[in-house]
Amino acid sequence: MMDTIILEGIAQVAHEHLGWQGPLTADMRLVEDLRLDSVRLLTLAAEVENRFRVLLDEADELAIETVGDLVAIVRRKLGA
Amino acid sequence: MPDTLIDYLQRAGHRPDGGIRFLDRAERDTWFGWAEIRERALTVCGGLRDLGIARGERVALVFPTGLEFFEAFFGILLAGAVPVPLYPPVRLGRLDEYFRRTARMLEVTRARLVLADARVRRILGEAIALARPPLGCRTVEEVRGEGGEAVWTDPSDLALVQFSSGTTVEPKPVALSHRALVAQTEILNVCLPDTGEVRHSAVSWLPLYHDMGLIGCVFPALSREASLTLLGPELFVARPALWLRALSRWQATISPAPNFAYNLCLTRVSDADMEGADLSNWRIALNGAEAVSPSVLRAFSERFARWGFRPEAMTPVYGLSEAALAVTFSDLSRPFRSVRFEREGLAREGLALEVEDGREIVSVGRPLPGFGLEIRSDDGRVLPPGRVGRVWIQGPSLMEGYLDAPEATARALQDGWLDTGDLGFLRGGELFLTGRAKDVIILRGRNYAPEEIERSLEGVPGVRTGCAVAASWLPEDADGERLVLFVEEARNATPRQLEALPEACREAVLGAIGLAVDEVVVLEPGTLPRTSSGKLRRQEALRLWLADELLPPEPVTPLRIAGAMARSGLAYARYRWSRDD
Repeated sequence: MMDTIILEGIAQVAHEHLGWQGPLTADMRLVEDLRLDSVRLLTLAAEVENRFRVLLDEADELAIETVGDLVAIVRRKLGA
Repeated sequence: MPDTLIDYLQRAGHRPDGGIRFLDRAERDTWFGWAEIRERALTVCGGLRDLGIARGERVALVFPTGLEFFEAFFGILLAGAVPVPLYPPVRLGRLDEYFRRTARMLEVTRARLVLADARVRRILGEAIALARPPLGCRTVEEVRGEGGEAVWTDPSDLALVQFSSGTTVEPKPVALSHRALVAQTEILNVCLPDTGEVRHSAVSWLPLYHDMGLIGCVFPALSREASLTLLGPELFVARPALWLRALSRWQATISPAPNFAYNLCLTRVSDADMEGADLSNWRIALNGAEAVSPSVLRAFSERFARWGFRPEAMTPVYGLSEAALAVTFSDLSRPFRSVRFEREGLAREGLALEVEDGREIVSVGRPLPGFGLEIRSDDGRVLPPGRVGRVWIQGPSLMEGYLDAPEATARALQDGWLDTGDLGFLRGGELFLTGRAKDVIILRGRNYAPEEIERSLEGVPGVRTGCAVAASWLPEDADGERLVLFVEEARNATPRQLEALPEACREAVLGAIGLAVDEVVVLEPGTLPRTSSGKLRRQEALRLWLADELLPPEPVTPLRIAGAMARSGLAYARYRWSRDD
């Protein structure tokens, strides 16, 4: 349940700030599937932090490759 | 008269004025005066000397924008060593490629030690394991010792090694002496003098491992004991409004940025973000480090006029890391100037003919004091005004050379003149840039070697081995440079592979370099132009493609022509498809 809400939030960030059209699913890879270059990766990180009021740190970011990874980190940060 | 960066630091360190203000994501500011920065740097210097770092040895540093960068940077300089600033990992970015690049940069510069932020160090391990710098990787706190003393430094000693482009394939570490950096700093100070009315101060979000951030912002502020407000590039990219609001809040007069930054403000700063902001103190908005787009300059000036932005502030400039930084400035007291030139004349004959309705090019102005500039033909003749040729420059802040790369240095530096590899012409004493002769790709103010991008295409199914080139150019009316790949298909490629080819190429480049490709052009085998020795000619491929003349090799029979046309139609359809999605 929580994952669905977080995924929706990330999808909104992707629509609003990255111009992503279409559905966003957990198995999508940030670089290959969402086609995020370095500037857009930075934007995603910052906007996800703003939206969920969490702070990602470098150690978390090591493990993030897919949308699902990002969802899991945000969930953990929210303590949910 | 100061001769070295250390002289600047010692002088500023004994005076009360100026320092650096760091802004964080909540726009809170922290201030450190130059005197405190010097004191702290001396403790790092002491620690480095205890570790046995000797004069002339290279020390790499990897820090986000913050106080520690400066403690480390000046500490290394005070110890007589040579700082090599490297970039920290990109957030959410792919780390395997980052490790390889960082390791390569450490090897090429033969760094004895890496200084890093504690958080960066935690993830830098793999790069350190690959490159094995003799003294490993340490934080500032681990190194800090008793207040050391500055090691005597000669103006001809190296003061900075920075990477121009090509970090993995053919790395080009630009080696700059104290003399060159002081000369560049003094020239910038002469061009942007303090007056009775204006005491200059700058705001910058530019990375400190980039010449425009470090040489263009930090050294002038240090040399004038001025104040400088810094925010990290990651903050700017996420919230471009922070840059403009900082300019307003601190009433800063100078801020430089590449073209893409002005464009990012147009798309990502809202009117609400700008509430209460006043940009009228911003007298000099330097715009350089990548091709300058007239449409972006116009749109930015118009949009932000509402908040007091002065049209004459927009100042296109030209420079390159091999010259420490700036080479030309446009007129500081007037809005930017652009002229239209006949397209055919520029493209085919290298002639700049002014016309009403031609290609619009922005003037990047005149050479700075002390700089010479010539437009030369490929065979070295000096060309008259209005003729397009290679831009050669001479001046007091040229690099010593590419570090430990005598051949590359000899190609670039000849009899005291530097071949910039850029193409352009002079008109009324002002420089207009038309393109590049050298193979370098410039996107978002950063240089990339095409070889790196091409190498990432190796192994993509359906690509003819070694037959892909990358290039970038600024299309008319575009907001920035575009990256294009020209890829020959393998003779034995299957239809499925061919269909997936453009997408597979984009993925490969994004995954390896983190760059989004704008266009993929699939070509028949043998289409790419080559030199007599068989090397691919990137700029020629780009030129032919832009002129619609990039065609397969001479067909021999009508049947082959029909086949070629059908295939090229197919390739075009695939390419359109890949663009439309």
